[in-house]
Amino acid sequence: MVELSAPSRLPLPTHGPLAVRARRFAEVARQVLRNPTTVAGLVIIVALLAMAFLAPLLTTPNAPDPYQMPRDWTMRDVPPGTPGHPLGTTSTGGDVFYGVLWGARTSLQLSVIVVSITVTVGIIVGSLAGFIGGKLDEILMRLVDVFLAIPELIFALAIAAVLGPSFSNIIFALAVVFWVKYARIIRGQIIHIKQNDYVDAARVTGDSRFSIYRKDVLPNSITPVMVQATMDMGGIVLTAATLSFIGLAEAGLAEWGVLVSDGQAGISAGRWWASTFPGLMVFLWALAFNLVGDGLRDVLDPRTEGR
Amino acid sequence: MQIREYILRRLMILPLIVVGTSIIVFTLSRVGGNPIAIYLEHEMTPAEVAEIEERYGLNDPLPVQYLAWAGGVLTGDMGWSAVSAQPVTEALLDRVGATLELATFAAIVAITMGVGLGTFGGARRDRLPDHLTRVFSISGASMPIFWFAILLLILFWVNLGWVSIGRSDPIIFATIAHPTGLYTIDALLAGSPSAFLDALRYMALPAITLGFGATAIIARMMRSSLVEELNEDYVDAARAKGLPERLVLRRHARRNALIPTVTVIGLGFGFLLQGTVVVEIIFRWPGLGRWMADAVLRGDQATIMAYVLFTSILFLAVNLIVDVMYAYLDRRVVLGA
Repeated sequence: MVELSAPSRLPLPTHGPLAVRARRFAEVARQVLRNPTTVAGLVIIVALLAMAFLAPLLTTPNAPDPYQMPRDWTMRDVPPGTPGHPLGTTSTGGDVFYGVLWGARTSLQLSVIVVSITVTVGIIVGSLAGFIGGKLDEILMRLVDVFLAIPELIFALAIAAVLGPSFSNIIFALAVVFWVKYARIIRGQIIHIKQNDYVDAARVTGDSRFSIYRKDVLPNSITPVMVQATMDMGGIVLTAATLSFIGLAEAGLAEWGVLVSDGQAGISAGRWWASTFPGLMVFLWALAFNLVGDGLRDVLDPRTEGR
Repeated sequence: MQIREYILRRLMILPLIVVGTSIIVFTLSRVGGNPIAIYLEHEMTPAEVAEIEERYGLNDPLPVQYLAWAGGVLTGDMGWSAVSAQPVTEALLDRVGATLELATFAAIVAITMGVGLGTFGGARRDRLPDHLTRVFSISGASMPIFWFAILLLILFWVNLGWVSIGRSDPIIFATIAHPTGLYTIDALLAGSPSAFLDALRYMALPAITLGFGATAIIARMMRSSLVEELNEDYVDAARAKGLPERLVLRRHARRNALIPTVTVIGLGFGFLLQGTVVVEIIFRWPGLGRWMADAVLRGDQATIMAYVLFTSILFLAVNLIVDVMYAYLDRRVVLGA
């Protein structure tokens, strides 16, 4: 009898595909949680998400647009610890604490939007190339090669530049740049999975091509995409912050890169806080998702097993 | 597939990719609307605007404009760079030295530290040094370069006063000639130790900042390939014949572990290239990255197009060289896959 589920290195009893998946998920979760650095990453993620969700409760949302920094022109450049401004203010009277919290919200929205778009587009393009193959594969992969020829950040920078400075253009630019990796990963996986016996078996039993793709090929190809998507949750925020640091977001946006840029001019006068705290947030955000992605890869990718 | 055939195949695909890239670059420059804005001034009459449009061929159909631009690129004419008020080609040549010098020093930092750390961690697998190396590597990959640069400046420039911003001391700069535009080389050519030290002093912080992220990539790859090599039979054989562990590591395992590590040099180079934009802004380094940042903020299409095309071709070339090197070094590699 042929295997119907993912070829797993764990001896799992088969009581229907759903039960197998649930057990496998529990097993993966158990292994992931055994790694202290992954747990550290998860803890940081929970803390950052809490900041994003609680921002409206911990600060008074700026009216009318809470994603714009509130300005207090009477309290410019005050150091951390000042009453009302626990992390100090910028040279334009923006509260760094407010920016740090609402920046978490901005980053969460940004990363969820970009990851959903790029994963979807990547899976569609990669599946067409890998599953249908032939000429279509050749054309799509040359397109992917061209996209990969331009370094990521520079490509996103050029796109955001021609569209004009705004945060929504940064989101668009990142979506255009980041889908390529997923297309490549999923295509490679599908070509590999297609050669398995259980795919042949499904074909023999008369399943339609689409149903083979949906039931047998895609679910077994998706793991490396999940690892990459976890890491990109961090990488996207990092790249977006870099673009907004360069000056491609609206001034005054509650976003970490914008804040670091605002604080840069003050460092020679000893005002270190306006750049340091928001930059630390970008670092923690990227670090947390990279730690978790790294831990996931160790567990899910048999090639690095036990390393 | 034979290596020769593989290289030929790669070389044949390369022009296609370069043309594809140039089409993307051109398309980008026209997506944002008419690229004429940067050439206009407030006092211009409509007739003068029309004259500029005519001069730059902006009324032609897009494919014609693309061919005109691509033809220009091939003959070394890439238009007028408004941000630096000189022809794009000239501006590019003026700045490329500064960026390449910075990237080279950053690469030296990254390769030395990356290989060293990777060996250190891999040889002590699953012990504390290994875990620390892992956390360090992941931190490097997660570090916003712009923030790291600012932290280093706060410490070494504002508080300790050990370094300055820029590329050289103006007084020392004036004492020697600069035929190559690479300040360390110029200083060596002039036989001036003080100019050499000055160049290094200004270089140190930007090179470390830029090299840090790539260090992480290399360390990670070096570690995992060393762990793999240390499990091989030949390592046991070397140990069995009584070779000290230090030599087993240095003469056998590390040499072989370096082969897969070569593959991430391409990736690391891309990391360095894009990092130069931010590092050059913060350290006021007069290179291509800062030129691009200026162009981005002022909408100077000719400069953006030239920069993106130039860096992409450089990136492609490095990746091709890396792949060919890897194919030579490791005959097990499946070519054409």
